[in-house]
Amino acid sequence: MILVFSGSGIFALFLLMFFLMKEAWPALVEIGGELFTSVYWYPTSEPPEYGMLAMIVGTLLLTSFSSLILLPIGYLIAFFLHTYASNAEKNLIRTTVEFLAGTPSVVMGLFVLSYISPILLRFDIWSTENFLMASIGLILTALPYTVSLSLEALDSVDVSLEESALALGADKFTTTLKITTRAALSGILNAFVLTVNRVVGETMIVLMVGGGAAIIPRSLFDPVKPLTAAIASEIGEVAVDSMHYHVLFAAGVILLAISLTLTGVSRYISGRQTR
Amino acid sequence: MKRFLVFVLIVFSIFVSAERLVIKGSNTVFPIAQLWIEEFKKFHPDLQVTLEGAGSSTGIAALFNGTTDIANASRWLKAEEIERMHREGRYFIPFLVGFDGIAVIVNKNLEIEDISIETLKKIYTGEIRYWSQVNPNLPKKRIVVYSRNTASGTYETFENKVLGGARMAPDIRMVESTQLEIENVAKNPYAIAYVGVGYVTEGVKVLKINGVYPTKENVLKGKYPLARPLFMFVDATKGFPEMGSLVFEYIMFAFSKKGQELVEKAGYIAAYGQ
Repeated sequence: MILVFSGSGIFALFLLMFFLMKEAWPALVEIGGELFTSVYWYPTSEPPEYGMLAMIVGTLLLTSFSSLILLPIGYLIAFFLHTYASNAEKNLIRTTVEFLAGTPSVVMGLFVLSYISPILLRFDIWSTENFLMASIGLILTALPYTVSLSLEALDSVDVSLEESALALGADKFTTTLKITTRAALSGILNAFVLTVNRVVGETMIVLMVGGGAAIIPRSLFDPVKPLTAAIASEIGEVAVDSMHYHVLFAAGVILLAISLTLTGVSRYISGRQTR
Repeated sequence: MKRFLVFVLIVFSIFVSAERLVIKGSNTVFPIAQLWIEEFKKFHPDLQVTLEGAGSSTGIAALFNGTTDIANASRWLKAEEIERMHREGRYFIPFLVGFDGIAVIVNKNLEIEDISIETLKKIYTGEIRYWSQVNPNLPKKRIVVYSRNTASGTYETFENKVLGGARMAPDIRMVESTQLEIENVAKNPYAIAYVGVGYVTEGVKVLKINGVYPTKENVLKGKYPLARPLFMFVDATKGFPEMGSLVFEYIMFAFSKKGQELVEKAGYIAAYGQ
């Protein structure tokens, strides 16, 4: 019975990958390199051009920028919760942060769109949906993942290890930073990778506040259109079996590849850490 | 368990016995179809209707798959679709149900009333980037240009009628929904966008195009340059929908006086008898 259930999970994944590849195949074969090297995204004009470079770069830039802010903050919150917070504080902060995780991303997008982005107009910034806004939205939605998962990793470290460090005269800060974190490193890295995966795949927020222009952003206030936004925004009205349709599936394959690479890296790291 | 089975049976029998109508397609036509269904249900109280507004292409694709009775479309069939129709020996018939004008909107505080197609083209191709280039009296501010995303029927119409083969500048903001466009234009003093007239709200200003407002009269007379017809497509491979069938009645209702009034109520322009 268990085998059937677990088997069906694997089956579903393979089915998903198979169909994704099958639908993306015509695009990969017929358009090939242009997909990855051209920045001209004109899928509906005549003749069409399917350059996804701007969107790939947009995805990577947005992900790395958000992660660079998000991961340290998340770790620091987990650090505080683990080391200094009393039980009541821990409960309060954790619940609040986890509540953020439960907020549907469309609500988060709406919030950023209607409350944060209008502030930009006061500073005479002409574009109210841009890289920065998308990043803020992503940070808010993904933060709870880093916090909860890192905290779990820190908490799972054997107390005797920390007590030994404390007994040897290390203060709390040093203990958590040097002893606990090191012992929990694989868990924390896993938390980071999962968060980054979440950021890569997030769709609704980047769709709503990213600005949706397929250019390579050169400043924080330029619009950005990641691959997820392109898929979500265009798949709805594209003719099935047209090249545009296949190209959008190719975008899905790229996303899946990014995500699988990240997961692979995390496996590799945690494998090395635990050994 | 027994109770559950009985429940399933009851639900199932309701499902089978009820009359069903499936409509998919354009989200431009969606609000009209919604009004029609509300009214149509008065004659058919136990009618089960599925209405989806995922886009013209989706609707037509569903018609090919046979998963819908009626496909709403805010455009004519594309060349590929006609080709596929011939290849598969299918025959879809169009019903013209109304017209939609595409309104060009700006913020209320921007002092501009009229814009020409040429200027609009220059704005959307990126040749003009500042309002002062449109009119020296306007502030020297960057124009924030919004467009519907490339897959939308409204986009296609705009592309055909304004850009005429030229390409939209890559830094134009492509948004998913008309609501988003309107909200942004209402908020941002230097924004411009185009939306179906049915969606225009108090918060934004509609521009004249080449001196013509997108009024009902101007659209019907063909004076307004940015207008398009709205259709319903029905698969008639096996013949025209039979008289008395649901599809037939629904289409006839759409053409009726009441049906056409509802087209206007949804904010579009009725095709007949107004």
